[in-house]
Amino acid sequence: MGDFFSNLALGFGIALTPMNLGYALVGCLVGTLIGVLPGIGPIATVAMLLPITFHLEPVSGLIMLAGIFYGAQYGGSTTAILVNLPGETSSVVTCIDGHQMARQGRAGAALAIAALGSFFAGCFSTALIAMFSPPLAIVGQSFGAPEYFSLLVLGLVAAVVLAHGSVIKAIAMVVLGLLLGLVGTDGNTGAQRFSFDIIILSDGIGFVPLAVGVFGLGEIIANLMAPEQQRTIVQEKISRLWPTMQDFRQAWPAVLRGTALGSILGVLPGGGATLSSFASYVLEKKVARDPSRFGKGAIEGVAGPESANNAGAQTSFIPMLTLGIPGNAVMALMIGALTIHGIQPGPQVMTERPDLFWGMVASMWIGNLMLVIINLPLIGIWVQLLKVPYRLLNLAILLFCAIGVYTVNNSAFEIMLTALFGVLGYVFMKLECEPAPMLLGFILGPLMEENLRRAMRIASGDPMIFIQRPISLGLLIATVLLLLIVALPAIRSKREEAFQEN
Amino acid sequence: MTRLTLALLSVLGLIAGPLTAGAQDKYPSKPVRIIVPYGPGGATDITSRIFGDQLKNILGQAFVVESKPGAFGIIGIEEMARAKPDGYTLFVGNVSTNAITPVIYEKKFSINFEKEVLSVSRLAIYPSFLMVTTANFDVKSVKELVDLAKKEPGKIRYSSAGVGSFPHYDMEVFARRAGVTMNHIPNKAGASGMLSDLVVGDAQVAVINSATTAAMIKAGKMRPIAVIAEKRLTEFPDVPTLAEAGFPNVGTLHWQSMFAPAQTPKDVLATLYKGLQDASKVPALQEAFAKQLVSVKLSDSLDEAQTWLKGEIANWKKITAEVKIDLNE
Repeated sequence: MGDFFSNLALGFGIALTPMNLGYALVGCLVGTLIGVLPGIGPIATVAMLLPITFHLEPVSGLIMLAGIFYGAQYGGSTTAILVNLPGETSSVVTCIDGHQMARQGRAGAALAIAALGSFFAGCFSTALIAMFSPPLAIVGQSFGAPEYFSLLVLGLVAAVVLAHGSVIKAIAMVVLGLLLGLVGTDGNTGAQRFSFDIIILSDGIGFVPLAVGVFGLGEIIANLMAPEQQRTIVQEKISRLWPTMQDFRQAWPAVLRGTALGSILGVLPGGGATLSSFASYVLEKKVARDPSRFGKGAIEGVAGPESANNAGAQTSFIPMLTLGIPGNAVMALMIGALTIHGIQPGPQVMTERPDLFWGMVASMWIGNLMLVIINLPLIGIWVQLLKVPYRLLNLAILLFCAIGVYTVNNSAFEIMLTALFGVLGYVFMKLECEPAPMLLGFILGPLMEENLRRAMRIASGDPMIFIQRPISLGLLIATVLLLLIVALPAIRSKREEAFQEN
Repeated sequence: MTRLTLALLSVLGLIAGPLTAGAQDKYPSKPVRIIVPYGPGGATDITSRIFGDQLKNILGQAFVVESKPGAFGIIGIEEMARAKPDGYTLFVGNVSTNAITPVIYEKKFSINFEKEVLSVSRLAIYPSFLMVTTANFDVKSVKELVDLAKKEPGKIRYSSAGVGSFPHYDMEVFARRAGVTMNHIPNKAGASGMLSDLVVGDAQVAVINSATTAAMIKAGKMRPIAVIAEKRLTEFPDVPTLAEAGFPNVGTLHWQSMFAPAQTPKDVLATLYKGLQDASKVPALQEAFAKQLVSVKLSDSLDEAQTWLKGEIANWKKITAEVKIDLNE
């Protein structure tokens, strides 16, 4: 333990030098900014700043890039809540209840809870990284294709709960998402699926065009259809900026659950963090005494997923720092930045470059504190933004969406795709179909397919592999239990109620 | 975003214009775009940035790297080939995008790759390891791998960066030469996915870029049993080349090269080639590549760059004819 504290002291010694504090601040500011601009993701930003880090100390460069990464996770929830625009996979579920809260004049409360929940989750998961990185990395290493597949089955079964309208429509939307996720090159055979000889489609449909189109543009079209006097986002008076005691009481258990869930999922290699916000939303809805509030501005629906998302974002550094395996594209960039300096992230980093490892961990905590200090005063300004006349606001949103979508792959085609999905999003809205289950199917579908086919190849076609592996078996048992609970008649009648919106 | 930078830079260029009016005709007189067919942070992106930085010092204009990923590199290659052939739009690609893609996806191109694209110079070669996992897998040499594969046909699993990627072809050619069969587990996530496959145990063997593996080798998570390079790496003197291990002419030299539209004027190409040569001698550049175990290896001349590219394409036509991978076209 003495070792732990001396390591932590070393870390803070490095992270608290004025220069590194400065880089952490720059990272957090830039991250918040790009997070708030819809569609512009951390990948494009980190990529632009990458050459700068070639000339910095490796620790400083890493601190700045990491700041951008989790800063963007913080900022991403702002647009999701205010204008129903998820810029990141993780903020899709924040849209559901967060934007409803904004419409009810509770944008301030939603933003504050999101920031505070994220801060708590960030502190907790940073402590987790500091204390338990090596054992957690081993958990990640035991997650092969069969385990992943079983986890995804559990996720998808639980996901039907995501919808708050008709169950049939929700399932239809999940399936539509699965189909959209099939577009592109089949990873196992190289065959082209649904690409209609359009060469750009051979890489599949991107998440950003789909999410920005269906959520953001669809919403804009719907708003413009409404008579002019109703065209404001906030239909009721903005009551107050700060959450009430009642809000806090409802939110804190959700924050705890979200943090725990996100911390675990973040450790899994191959982007487990993506699942965390979806999983947390499902969990909150399951444990809620009155699930019908979800989708209508339930504060747990913001607090849980936001905490889970931030916790997952932090713990996803564990596979990168301990094994050198990046959990997502931003981390792949960070590894690139380190290789330029001749540092190879891997199991030795902790012992051979303790300054790098502990400096980074300490800076994460400092960065989280900075973010909460930056974000809380901004809430007032963001809420004021909603008072901007909609005829001006919608143009600004459109412009930023277009820029954001373009920067992902420097592709004009993706802007056209976004426009197309915008029309689709409007149609969904008219048909009262929820887009969130579709995005879930879109994200989980390809992952499930890949891991299923991979597991079958590993087992030479023997499906018993899923029950021979203990972790996989455990997850499947949990799925069956969940199905049983749903199928039990007494609970079912209650659930039917929960799904009826009116 | 890079477009924006470019626009800003050219505005600055216009302001500075009157001072350098006499030099307007001389290439380069404005910023140059380098299209890269991958997202930022990968080996190809980093190679072009390192060279671009030096070219800026030598030729006095910014070389702006712009990523145009997608469709196995075809999107970026076509954009470059269709650009005005004036030397202001260049391309840096690798063996996958500029030798394998033109062979196996020839029909997908709307340009004639061999006629419309030329190589300015090869830039660097990334060595790869034939790597085995240490998770429940006790193989210490190429010979032991072949013996085990003979004992358990089709049981050993190898990872690759996807169907039709060079790590896929390398393993198939290797298996043929050794007279064994192995089970292919493709991973769309590329090098990082392959590393994860080996650590987790989804796969047991793979051809992996050696630049990012040193830490894991040291930790005993995986073991290099051969290196695919012209000679052994000084950092790993005990790891034989695949040729030394009994498999000559097996394995892909993972090169990167600069390309330009075929109609680019000769004097522009000569300036570029000279610039690349000067850049390759800068100690900072050599150090940056050496840290990643990469050897900087330029073509001997502009002409040699062309014959070399033709040779590469001919070689891949041969390999793909030998190892038929059904791409379900």
